[in-house]
Amino acid sequence: MKPVILMIEDDPQIRRFLRATLAAEGYVAHEALTAKDGIAQAEAGRPDLILLDLGLPDFDGLEVIRRVRQSSQAPIVILSARGQEKDKVGALDLGADDYVAKPFAVGELLARIRAALRRATALPHDGGLVFRFGRVEVDLENRIVKADGEEIHLTPNEYKLLQVFIRYPGKVLTQRQLLNEVWGPNNTDQAQYLRVYIAQLRRKLEHDSTRPKHLQTEPGVGYRLVVEG
Amino acid sequence: MVYLLGVVAISTRCSRRVSVAASFISVAAFDFFCVPPYLTFRVTDYDYLITFAGVLAVALVLSTQTALIRMQAIDALDREARTKALYNLSHRLAGESSIFDAARLAAETAGELFRAGVTVFLPDRGEISFRRRTSDYLPVPRAEESVAQWVFENGRRAGRTTNTNPSATAIYLPLQGAKAVVGVMAVVPHSGERFSPEQSSFLDAFANQTALALERTQAQNTAEANRLSRQTEEMRSSLLSTVSHDLRTPLASITGAASTLRSQEDKLSVETRHELLDSISEEAERLGRLVRNLLDMTSLQSGFELRRELCPLEEIVGAALQRIEPQLKDRVVTTSLPDDLPPVSVDDVLFGQVIANVLENSLKYTPAGTSIEIVAEAAGDTVTLEIRDRGPGLPEGDEHRIFEKFYRGKSEKVRGAGLGLAICRAIVEAHRGTIEAFNRTGGGAVFRIRLPLEDAR
Repeated sequence: MKPVILMIEDDPQIRRFLRATLAAEGYVAHEALTAKDGIAQAEAGRPDLILLDLGLPDFDGLEVIRRVRQSSQAPIVILSARGQEKDKVGALDLGADDYVAKPFAVGELLARIRAALRRATALPHDGGLVFRFGRVEVDLENRIVKADGEEIHLTPNEYKLLQVFIRYPGKVLTQRQLLNEVWGPNNTDQAQYLRVYIAQLRRKLEHDSTRPKHLQTEPGVGYRLVVEG
Repeated sequence: MVYLLGVVAISTRCSRRVSVAASFISVAAFDFFCVPPYLTFRVTDYDYLITFAGVLAVALVLSTQTALIRMQAIDALDREARTKALYNLSHRLAGESSIFDAARLAAETAGELFRAGVTVFLPDRGEISFRRRTSDYLPVPRAEESVAQWVFENGRRAGRTTNTNPSATAIYLPLQGAKAVVGVMAVVPHSGERFSPEQSSFLDAFANQTALALERTQAQNTAEANRLSRQTEEMRSSLLSTVSHDLRTPLASITGAASTLRSQEDKLSVETRHELLDSISEEAERLGRLVRNLLDMTSLQSGFELRRELCPLEEIVGAALQRIEPQLKDRVVTTSLPDDLPPVSVDDVLFGQVIANVLENSLKYTPAGTSIEIVAEAAGDTVTLEIRDRGPGLPEGDEHRIFEKFYRGKSEKVRGAGLGLAICRAIVEAHRGTIEAFNRTGGGAVFRIRLPLEDAR
């Protein structure tokens, strides 16, 4: 069954190329031109993924997410204007899965859609799996981390942090989400500690910690574990 | 003789009355101790009475003269102190660029010098309303507004100690400048006593100096405002022509390529079609960068907030490199950041932009195949980040001008509105840091950014 993607987008030119690219990738694309219509279609049509433009004229994008989330757990990828970091973070914290910033090349968008769909349909990692990205191999059952075959020692928090990334591969995670998952809900303003730990992980796992291939920064938003490369 | 010396000594230090009393006392003492019969005030030889009269006369003259000299010396010191105070006032006021601050400074200084409560009222829409004043509270009753207004209009004193409204709480002085009255100074002596004539004329001189300084500041501000508005006009027309050209060029490429693909589709080879599509992509990207720079510059100019956090420089450099990935292509960029580099308190999005802009600039102006190095180090309370290249370097003597808006390098091959580095400077300076560029030995340019290390809140 081809995945159904609902795009909630008011600009006709953007819809035009999205339609073309989604069809070419084998998705069934539905369209809504207004937020109201989008919310209704999300509830009725049960799409597998929702593309939502944050700059819709009739509704605040964050409000749309709230409403959609009331009736659907489908992954939401938002299309945002550049420079609206606060909005992106707000949308992600409210339940959006990922974002692309306009103007974007469709390659990036399709990669995000693929990853989001994969996460939605995949079974949660059970303890017996080995997770690989680049030169790193993580034995989740035995908690052993290797880079280029050599064992790397991670502190308990570093490992917990890595686990969160592994749980959501390819997905952007906000600072708040990471802090919440590793250090609990009362520590969501300790961004500097998070940065220190990310830096430590990069030094241990990346070939060049100043040009990370996997643990990438999304400035103003958070971090993302890129599995390819 | 001893007694005369004593009288002179006393009169150099004490007031006239005391000196006169001392003269009498010394003659009496002379009589008591030195003239027979000893230890009485009587005299046996009446010739001594003439001696007494003579000695008394001399003592009185000496004491009066000495007291006079002393008073003159004190006066001279006073005059010197006043002249010095006026000079200091003039000096300090010259350093103020705001009329209000200058007026406030003058009021405070006057308050100290004259031991009074001093408030300067500045005109508000051509009138003295007590709204524009240098003290936080109103030191005189609001009913006296008309007195102050009268002073402003007529340029003469009014209030206490004058013939106009003598029952007012304060003395109102006009601040008379070279051209017009620029304000009114209200003076309420602390102890309620009258000013002496010398103090009064000193007060006038003070008010005069203040008025001249305020006038001068106003003239400077007007000249500066005119200069700025001229500069803005020049920049605006420069911007318009630059932006016009820089927007039309990529648009022309995009329109041309797209229309070729559309109207001559079947006559084009596959490679050509791919080339044209690449053209559209690349030119759109270029247009995107230009638009981004323009928007950034505009938003920076209308004021922006820094969201500062302690960030490791390594992360910001990494994110910047990631962002300009497409422009890096096959260029070699090496980084050298010590492991123990302390984190810096920056807005990660904005500062990342600074690094990205400098890198983009270096990539544009240096030939392919040359390397770019990013080096950082901490020393004392500063972190220094350098981006070094091996390109043609910066135009001699113009190293600081590259950070000006719309300044572009002399190379015709390079395009761009010249905003990238100006944006960098605005952001770095908002972080209280510095950015400079210079040529390095062996050829090439270095961009050096310095940031103060400070504790985050």
